[in-house]
Amino acid sequence: MLSRSAQSLYWLGRYLERAGNLSRLLQLQSESLVDRPVREIHFGWNRIYKFVRRDPPGGEVQLFGDEDFVLADSFALADDLTFERANPSSVFSCFAQGRENARHTRHCISPEVWTCLNTTYLRLQQQNIAAVWQWEPTAFYQGLSTDIETFGGLAETTMYHDERWSFLQLGRNVERAQNAAALLLAQIDTITSSSSQEFHEEDWTSLLRVFYALEVYNHAYSVAVLPDRVMDLLVSDPLLPESLGRSSALIGSAIAAIGSGPYSRSGRALQRLVGRLSSMINYEWPDEEERVPLLREISEGADELHFLITEAYFDYPIQEPV
Amino acid sequence: MKFDDYELSSPIHDEMFLSGGVPRPHARLLFDALNQLSPTELASIQSRVHRTFSTESISFTVYGDHAPGEPAEERIIPVDPIPRIIAAADWLTLSHGLEQRVKALNRFLQDVYGPAHIIADGVVPADMILDCPQFRPEMRDFSQPYGAWVAVCGSDIIRVTDPHVNPLVSSGVDSRIPTAATPPSNNGPEVGAGFRVLEDNLRVPSGVSYMIANRKAAKASLPRLYRSYRVREVEQYGAALQASLRELSPNGKPHPVLALLTPGVYNSAYYEHMFLAREIGAELVEGKDLVVRDRVVYMRTTQGLQQVDVIYRRIDDDFLDPRVFRRDSLLGAPGLIEAARAGNVTLANAPGTGVADDKSVYVYVPDMVRYYLGEEPVLKNVETYLCRRPEDLEYTLDNIANLVVKRVGESGGYGMLIGPHATPEERDEYARAVRANPKDFISQPVQSFSRAPCLVPRHSALDAESSKTPDLAFEPRHVDLRPFILNGMQTRIVPGAFCRVALRRGSLVVNSSQGGGGKDVWVLAEDEYNS
Repeated sequence: MLSRSAQSLYWLGRYLERAGNLSRLLQLQSESLVDRPVREIHFGWNRIYKFVRRDPPGGEVQLFGDEDFVLADSFALADDLTFERANPSSVFSCFAQGRENARHTRHCISPEVWTCLNTTYLRLQQQNIAAVWQWEPTAFYQGLSTDIETFGGLAETTMYHDERWSFLQLGRNVERAQNAAALLLAQIDTITSSSSQEFHEEDWTSLLRVFYALEVYNHAYSVAVLPDRVMDLLVSDPLLPESLGRSSALIGSAIAAIGSGPYSRSGRALQRLVGRLSSMINYEWPDEEERVPLLREISEGADELHFLITEAYFDYPIQEPV
Repeated sequence: MKFDDYELSSPIHDEMFLSGGVPRPHARLLFDALNQLSPTELASIQSRVHRTFSTESISFTVYGDHAPGEPAEERIIPVDPIPRIIAAADWLTLSHGLEQRVKALNRFLQDVYGPAHIIADGVVPADMILDCPQFRPEMRDFSQPYGAWVAVCGSDIIRVTDPHVNPLVSSGVDSRIPTAATPPSNNGPEVGAGFRVLEDNLRVPSGVSYMIANRKAAKASLPRLYRSYRVREVEQYGAALQASLRELSPNGKPHPVLALLTPGVYNSAYYEHMFLAREIGAELVEGKDLVVRDRVVYMRTTQGLQQVDVIYRRIDDDFLDPRVFRRDSLLGAPGLIEAARAGNVTLANAPGTGVADDKSVYVYVPDMVRYYLGEEPVLKNVETYLCRRPEDLEYTLDNIANLVVKRVGESGGYGMLIGPHATPEERDEYARAVRANPKDFISQPVQSFSRAPCLVPRHSALDAESSKTPDLAFEPRHVDLRPFILNGMQTRIVPGAFCRVALRRGSLVVNSSQGGGGKDVWVLAEDEYNS
């Protein structure tokens, strides 16, 4: 298929996944505002900002004892992360970028997928934080996450599973793997950068909930939450839909379906990297002492995937015609 | 009754009513159906149609008013849910006329870029062709499979007179359209069902996607009515286009790879490009996706370079190939014309077709029909005076207050004078320009083209407070018709058209960018109905 269309589908997958992940985080964060202590809310915001690699408005998340301040601050932070047009990683910006890529390549996706995306976009465009905050912010984010999942489901059932679909899947799973790794690292960095560096079980249960993994964890291990066990589950469990292991397996199958592309050097490098990631996740993990360095290596590998994909399929040097 | 206030101004042809306010026989079912709808139902139809267009984003892009760096505005084309109905007999005349006309135009292009017999025989003046900016000397001796220089034609048709009414009885009655003094040429007896060709679009005509979208909207709004009429289908347009383009495969190469060349997502017709690419199974390419090697065109795919055989190009000639036309173009691909010349790729439409839809050359199209086909043209032109002819120049200057004067090189309503709407000073100034360069101008009487009922906010309610159910009424609006004619090995015309509507009250401007909208066109399979 046309490289430029493939690239747009890949980015469509990436942006929607990113918008969905952030929306899920904001959903849980908005829930925590109802009943969680100020420290935990503060931790949640810091984790999100580290995850999106952005400074919060005002430079840092303020920790005031006063509950009113926390709520007022949360309103501004949620706005920045949800609707701020100038923030390229806000949910709106990601969704708009996703839709723009879909618009470039609308002839390659099914009309059902387009209509679902466009309807959500039109609705999102008319929303603002004041309206969302006044009613049920949690329901808003949950609805958005559902819409984005619906997009994935519609793509699954209404699109022919050819190269187009594979590039969409590739984008979604590359983003998912990068996000999972980045979120785990953000969790660790938020803990280490806090003044007390204390262990709070609820910071880890909330992380499990982001991945829809709390029940799985309780079932597989125990109700006692241990950070290493949480990381093991989120990195290497092959059955957990959003685990790193699952994403990297799906990246591998998308690349196998697409083939190595016309530029053999990058194509081979890409396949090697996918193999390397799979090996780190499935065989080298968990190395009790080296969890965090290994996680950093996986995260860098996931970031590197993007450059190799671009070079192998989209911006390859032109050799002789096939 | 909903049509009680409906205004009929003879001699303007109304698509629904005869001059006495009686529905035309083929419009009777529609008239009855509309009369049975409650105001709530009408409002619901209107909003449903708009919502469908909006959620599917059937849009066109508007240039201009957007901040730098921001994307251009995507605007939803306004669609009127009331179909325009065309009787089977009228369509038969129209489609015969169009087929004949496009056949002659293709013969003309083959001739004018080849032996130019038509010039040698004195039918068309040589200097007019050479003066035409759309004449591309680079295309001399070029050949196109089956002589189909124009693979896709979208002609703008208006209906000026009612073929069912004696023109002597109705003319001049309650006319608000100024009529020019008796023109020098005689129109002769009425043929062609009152249709006139306003212009032929032979370069990159657009609008066909709205024909299909409007059909979808009309079916959804008036499903029972649609069923009770026997309406001919338009949904096969994509298949017809694909078949025509495949027939144009270079050297008859089987299973040609098709690509649709678009200027990109910011082009106003991008929705259509996307829509058609999907319909015909073509890759939607931009110039930067194409590579020409050894006079062969390739596109960059995820599996390497792949050869392209037929390019349905939706980019103007100027931008197609920087080696041949505009050097600064980034939209095309260098080497494209050479590849086409070598017979390795077919460009549809072929470059250079604009010479045949030039405003001056237009005047000669009926002569082309006679010259190449030896037939009388079925469809007439709009009366046009070529200021390069001394007698037409004189007529134009004498009657400038009643004429529309246009510059031949301009399009889209630019650079023209609408005599009746201009001040005496503007007319004088324009007249001086015409006298200085007569060959740059043509003139035409103001056209009183036909009107059809549209569902619009009631005129009296426009200033009133908005209520829950908008106060809608049927009012006449001017409409034109753009049918699409496809040429490959054979000619194909899908029975339908994009009907453009001048939605502003009294307006004659149907352009989407200037407040125009669209409506569906129902071409009937037969004309006998039991209402």
